[in-house]
Order: sequence, then structure tokens, then C-alpha cells
Amino acid sequence: MMSLTKVRLWDVVKQQYRYKLKGYIQVFMSMVVLQVLALIFSLNGVGNAGASGGLLNVNTSYFSADFVLAFTMLWGFITAILITTKAYSNDDFIFVTNRLSSHLSNVLFLVTASILGGLTTILSTFLLKVIVFLFKSDVYLASSADLAAPMTLLVGVSSASLYILLLCSLGYLVGTLIQWSKLFAVLLPAVFVGGLLLNALSGEAGILAVLYAFFMTESSFPLFFLKVVCTSVVLFWGAFGLSNRLEVRP
Amino acid sequence: MTVIECKEVTKILGGTKALDHFSCRIEGDKITGLIGRNGAGKTTLLKLIAGYWRETAGSIEVFSERPFNNLLVSANVIFIQNEMDFPTALNLKELLEVMAGFYQNWDRALAERLFEYFSFSPLQHYKGLSKGMKSTFNMIVGLSARAPLTIFDEPTTGMDAAVREDFYRALLKEYLAHPRSIILSSHHLDEIEDLLEDILLIKQGQELLHLPMSDVKEWAVALEGKVSLVHEWIQNREVLYTKSTGFHQSAAVRNDFTEAELQQLRLEGVRISPVKASDLCIYLTRDSEGGIDDVFNKG
Repeated sequence: MMSLTKVRLWDVVKQQYRYKLKGYIQVFMSMVVLQVLALIFSLNGVGNAGASGGLLNVNTSYFSADFVLAFTMLWGFITAILITTKAYSNDDFIFVTNRLSSHLSNVLFLVTASILGGLTTILSTFLLKVIVFLFKSDVYLASSADLAAPMTLLVGVSSASLYILLLCSLGYLVGTLIQWSKLFAVLLPAVFVGGLLLNALSGEAGILAVLYAFFMTESSFPLFFLKVVCTSVVLFWGAFGLSNRLEVRP
Repeated sequence: MTVIECKEVTKILGGTKALDHFSCRIEGDKITGLIGRNGAGKTTLLKLIAGYWRETAGSIEVFSERPFNNLLVSANVIFIQNEMDFPTALNLKELLEVMAGFYQNWDRALAERLFEYFSFSPLQHYKGLSKGMKSTFNMIVGLSARAPLTIFDEPTTGMDAAVREDFYRALLKEYLAHPRSIILSSHHLDEIEDLLEDILLIKQGQELLHLPMSDVKEWAVALEGKVSLVHEWIQNREVLYTKSTGFHQSAAVRNDFTEAELQQLRLEGVRISPVKASDLCIYLTRDSEGGIDDVFNKG
């Protein structure tokens, strides 16, 4: 009798994580494409201010990599949905897995993806500056938003990563809901768009505004960190709970 | 040692019972053939054993644990089927590497030798392989994993005759060198007959027969002779199959003859021959018409 292999959950998770970094490499390709696209959009500047008087004509353009962050957040959302689909999640069952290890390695992968996304987003601001400096502008005015100091840079990267992670965890829950019942693929967008419309009609600030205020206007980094991590944990945990009874279907 | 134990397992798929109060017990270190018609519930049973699906009712235990969502079972079972969802981003060589990381008994040397023997190229992708080549690659994975419970569901689909032959030889050699529990489901019983130690016949989601191969060969006999003679002998017996052409009748019946009766038969000029296992399975799994019902009612 061949003796049974004893496995520890954490070893399997590590093995799966290693495989996913390699196997899901395509999602990073799409991230790069999206970020380049976002950079091109950003070249128009996010704001213009002009003043002229007599012979003098001053035109100031503001540039920011907000587009890049927004696009990367969207990418995180879609990536998270993508890896909950059968094409990806069934792959795990070729190898050694249970649902928990599969989820944990997915979370690790999404955290890694968020950090990479955050890093490239912040780095893209430098690329943007160089492009603007070389091709767009006569005079370059540095702003307070320049992330030159290491500490500022670190906070910038972390915040960007956290925003992406937040969207990842939301996407993961949405994706799992859709796997649970295809009905959600119709229901969730309908509720989302419908809610927006209702809010607009009634003129109230809806839940989105509340969420925006909760996450986007936090000025203390540790508090922001806590908010995002707790929310993500809750969202991921929801996805775990939902999928624990899902079968492997072709 | 019991590897798999099913008690009254029912699995409902899309409103119909794919498995209906199915019970069986499969002992370790044997090659068991899982035989049944299309839609008999073979794949359903294997998916339950592999922990892919959840049983609707009853209990199923693999290595004394419930397989669904179970890490121990997953680590010790390899389930090879036709629709293997290998990740598309990796080439064949990388796939084998990843597999080696997951399965602790994985035999790299064997995988490599088989890989070369069947002339795969490392940079190929699984998606681009032909049906037969896919099956061949699956087989390499299944054999190299050296999992204590190895399940092959219709492993030879699309393989040409030569590769099928190679596969059976490889399976046998591997089994002899490293005994493990193997379940083989196949339509080609006559091909795998010599390989199997046990046979598990299922029909309409229920266990029909679970016997050692040697017993299966003696389970029934074929009688051939004059209609009047044969007809008399098969009265009040389980008739699996009968065919008459004019004066001549041949029949397959359950072998519960005594030695004296067999002697008597021979004297009367009735030809007695064994029923091939594959024929027996065909007779038993045929949709019932009259006499065959008796077999099932015996259960």
C-alpha cells in the first residue's frame, strides 16, 4: 500500500500562489496596456487655467496620473472577476486543492497584483512628468504633489495599492456571486445603474457618495489602511462563505 | 484496506438520479475496472470520489474521509478525465513542472521519459494538441503522479491502437513497480480485461456486479445445441441472452450448474463454453427485456 501523503494547507497555498504568478501572467499584460492607454489620455491634462492681459498670455495645465489609477482600479476589479470564472478556478482542481486553499492563493495573488499595480501607477507619474517636460511644456512647475521624498512615495504606492485591492476584493465577491448564480450577472449591474439613476432623480447623495467620502477623503493613512483592509477582508470572507459549497463544473 | 466506501450514495443531476442509492466498497492496491453503458453514472461516481461534486444523499468515504472539499483526498487522488482544465498559459513542460510541485510522489524521470517516448515538444501548448495527444499527455500525468488512488476515466479516447497498447503496458508496469489503487473506466472491456483484478459493473446509477475478474469469467456459461434440449435446460434459470436459428439455439445463463449437470449436458450433446467478460457485461447492461429482470431483482 502506497502511504498517504500528508499535506499542510499552507504548503498547498504557497504552491498554488507560485503557480498562479506564472499561470495568470496574462493579466499583467493587460494591466500594462491599460496603463499606457491611461497615460495617453492623461497627456491632455486634467485641468487648464489661462490668464491673459495685454501682451501676456499664461496658460497652465495640470497633469496627473489619476487616470492611470482609475484604470488600474478597474483592471483590478475585472481581474478579480476573471479569476473566479470557471476557466481559472477549475484549473486549481487539476492540482492539489480545496476551496480554502484556492481562495487563499487567489487573495495572495490579488494582493500581489494590487501592489504591482500601485507601484506602476505611481511610477507612471514620473513617466508622465518626463513626457510633459520633453514634449508638451515650455516651463515645468513642480507641485506639492510631486512624490520625491521616499516616505511620500511609499505612502503614495501604498494608497494606490490599497485602492486597487479594495476594487479587487469587490470584484472577487461579485465574481463569486455570479458563479453562484448567473442571475447576478444581470442583477448587479441593474441595481448599480438603477441606484445611480434613482439617486440622480431624487437629487440625494446615494450610497456611492457615502462610500466615496468614507474611502477617498480619509486624510490619515493608518486609518485609511485599516478601513480598506477591514473592508477587503469582509468582502473576501463573503466570497469564501459563498463558494464553499460550489461544485467543480465544466 | 478499504480505499473507497460508498453507502447509499445518491446524486441528482438536473432532476434525474445519476446515482441511485449506490453502494460499493473498493479495496486498496487493485486495478478495478468501472464498466457501464453511457449514462450509467460512471463519471458521476468518479467525480464524487475525486471530490469534484457533492453527494445529494448517502455517504462516500475515500481514505476514510469525505472527499468533497478535502485537501488530504485531493493530495492523494489524481483524476484523469477527458476534459482536463490545464491552464492555458503554460506549455507542456511547465505543466509537468507545476504538477511535480503539487504531487509529492511525482516521478520526474518517468514523466520525462514518457514525454520523450511519445515525442511531445516542451514548448507545445495543451490546447493545441489533437484529441489523442491530449489523452496521451493526460496519461503521462496520471502515471507520473504516483497518487495512491489513480483514476482514469475513459483514458484511451482518441488514442490510436499502438498508443492504447503502450498505455496498458505502461499502466501495468507502473502498477507492478509501485502498487496503488487504480480505477479504470472504459468502453473497451476486452482490451483491459487482462489488466483488471476486479470489475465493478454499474447500470442506471446502481451497482450491478462487483467481482474479481476470475469470478466474472465463470459467472455465466454459454450453451449451444438443439432447441428442444437447450430450451429445457434453461428453464427456471437466469437467462442472460438467447438466440435461436431454426433447430439450433444458443443461450447464456447464470452458471449455477453442478458438476453432474454439466456432465449430463455434455452427454446430451450440448456445447458448453465460457462467456467472455465483455459479452457478459453487454448482456447484463442491456435494457431489460423479460428474463433479464430477474438478475436485477436479485441485487
